[in-house]
Amino acid sequence: MLSPAEREIVLLSLQVAGTALLLMAVPGIAMGWLLARCRFPGKTLVDAAVHLPLVLPPVVTGWVLLMACSRQAPLGRVLDDWFGIRLVFDWKGAVLAAAVMGFPLLVRAVRLAIELIDRDTERAAATCGAPPWRVFATVTLPLAAPGILAGLVLAFARCLGEFGATITIAGNIPGQSRTLPLAIWQYTQTPDGDGMVWRLVTFSVIISLVALAISAWMSRRLGARLGAG
Amino acid sequence: MRLELAATVQRGRFTLQLEGIVTSGACGVFGPSGCGKSSLLGLLAGLVRPARGRVVLDGEVLDDIAAGLHVPTHRRRIGVVFQQGHLLPHLDVQANLRYGERLLALADRRVGFPEVVALLDLAGLLDRRSATLSGGERQRVALGRALLCSPRLLLLDEPLAALDGGLKKSILPYLRRAREAFDLPMLHVSHDLPELLHTCDDLLLLADGRIAAHGPLAAIASDIRLLPLLHEAGLVNVLRGTVAQLRPEDGITEVLLEGGATVQCPLRPDPVGTRLELLLRPGDIALAVQPVSGLSLQNQLAGTVRAVTSASDRVLVAVDVGQELLVEVTARTITQLGIVPGRPVGVLFKAMSVTGRN
Repeated sequence: MLSPAEREIVLLSLQVAGTALLLMAVPGIAMGWLLARCRFPGKTLVDAAVHLPLVLPPVVTGWVLLMACSRQAPLGRVLDDWFGIRLVFDWKGAVLAAAVMGFPLLVRAVRLAIELIDRDTERAAATCGAPPWRVFATVTLPLAAPGILAGLVLAFARCLGEFGATITIAGNIPGQSRTLPLAIWQYTQTPDGDGMVWRLVTFSVIISLVALAISAWMSRRLGARLGAG
Repeated sequence: MRLELAATVQRGRFTLQLEGIVTSGACGVFGPSGCGKSSLLGLLAGLVRPARGRVVLDGEVLDDIAAGLHVPTHRRRIGVVFQQGHLLPHLDVQANLRYGERLLALADRRVGFPEVVALLDLAGLLDRRSATLSGGERQRVALGRALLCSPRLLLLDEPLAALDGGLKKSILPYLRRAREAFDLPMLHVSHDLPELLHTCDDLLLLADGRIAAHGPLAAIASDIRLLPLLHEAGLVNVLRGTVAQLRPEDGITEVLLEGGATVQCPLRPDPVGTRLELLLRPGDIALAVQPVSGLSLQNQLAGTVRAVTSASDRVLVAVDVGQELLVEVTARTITQLGIVPGRPVGVLFKAMSVTGRN
């Protein structure tokens, strides 16, 4: 059904988006909790920094990442010399671009979900002898789960569709950084590419629908557990 | 419970200045709304930090701001039943009940799960989702959850305030039973004085952000300076007696009070001999200096004036009718009738203004 070239594009897209999601899940939930529940100096700055990729043109975000991660920049040199990680013109760069672009969407959803939880419910758990980390694991996290799930789906979709930042830092290299959107754009520029565009667009739609269906199914199960569904 | 308080709590512009030593098995905290009742419980539970001072419970320092000491909520072993219950909505009743118990070492578990389930009639609820419980069921589960934490002190933060009248009455006996079964020190906050008189031995009166009085009700009520405060807190007379006679044809139950007088109240299903508490608001009682006839007031008791307390436009008269009864009248009545301590008077009230309870 899929030609080898198509399979490479679809699998690379899933690999990039999936890895980005895995990378951002824990920091995203932690950041959402921090912004929802904690007061600390510089909170507004942190909040703004997290949300910056949402409002900046993606190409600008990509360029900033490119500058930070190139061999000439200190961060890029440390990554290369110490860990052997090269991000520029590499699939790992595409992962970074996708993660940075998806992160604010996840954080926003988590923050909102946690802010909606009645603090008194958490306080009640504390009076039962639960230390803060246990309150988080047994009260906050389960109650915020539907919102966190929605945030993960949103972030995954954003990762799949990421174009501007990806092409800026990772280029458009088949097998490295040519994800679905880049491939679709590539074929729109090619004579006789229409057939491929149609097929790739169809795959995009299918992947998105499957992700939506999975999230709907999971949120129904969570809802039933919460006694709301 | 021995509670040593020397702490200041700042809540916005409101300052709560708590000074005193409270020793009691079960203490009812009451006062006008906004007097700091809930802040006091928050302070004890560790949810509110004092701005200054110390809080010591049974010799253990819970807060000492000067020494930089604050025992966090989860290490205090102080159970709380909140007004709204605050059960964990994603867990069923059994998991809610065991939430705190599971965090205790086996040696620290002094309250048994089966005992609590039996005491609070929870057997039929164990598999229910906590979100599907009614208000009364929810508060029973919240009480059970707090008990199963084997706390050294139980705080009740207006646990019945969210329930309507009938339900309140059905939950009150559970509170009392829990207290008797586990011999647990208790601090019960409520704006409902009758509710407190049902569950507690002593009262703590908060007013204007301070402890205005502490002790048994009889002692507080005999301090005439406190009468106006008591009144503002929803003062009600509680008379104790036993059912003497049922008169279904008149819709009346006759109650023989401790001290000898007989009072008529609306017909109740309780058989003769049942012990009852009768509630009667001071404003529903009238005074007379000679016997009156031709009135619809069913109850006329003879008594002696003990004290007359006036505060602004309001006068409270304490009358001894075998038990002490507080009567609210206008200042004009006092001068017209010549009410002074020692004077024999009659107290009059309608049978309908009396509420009985077991």
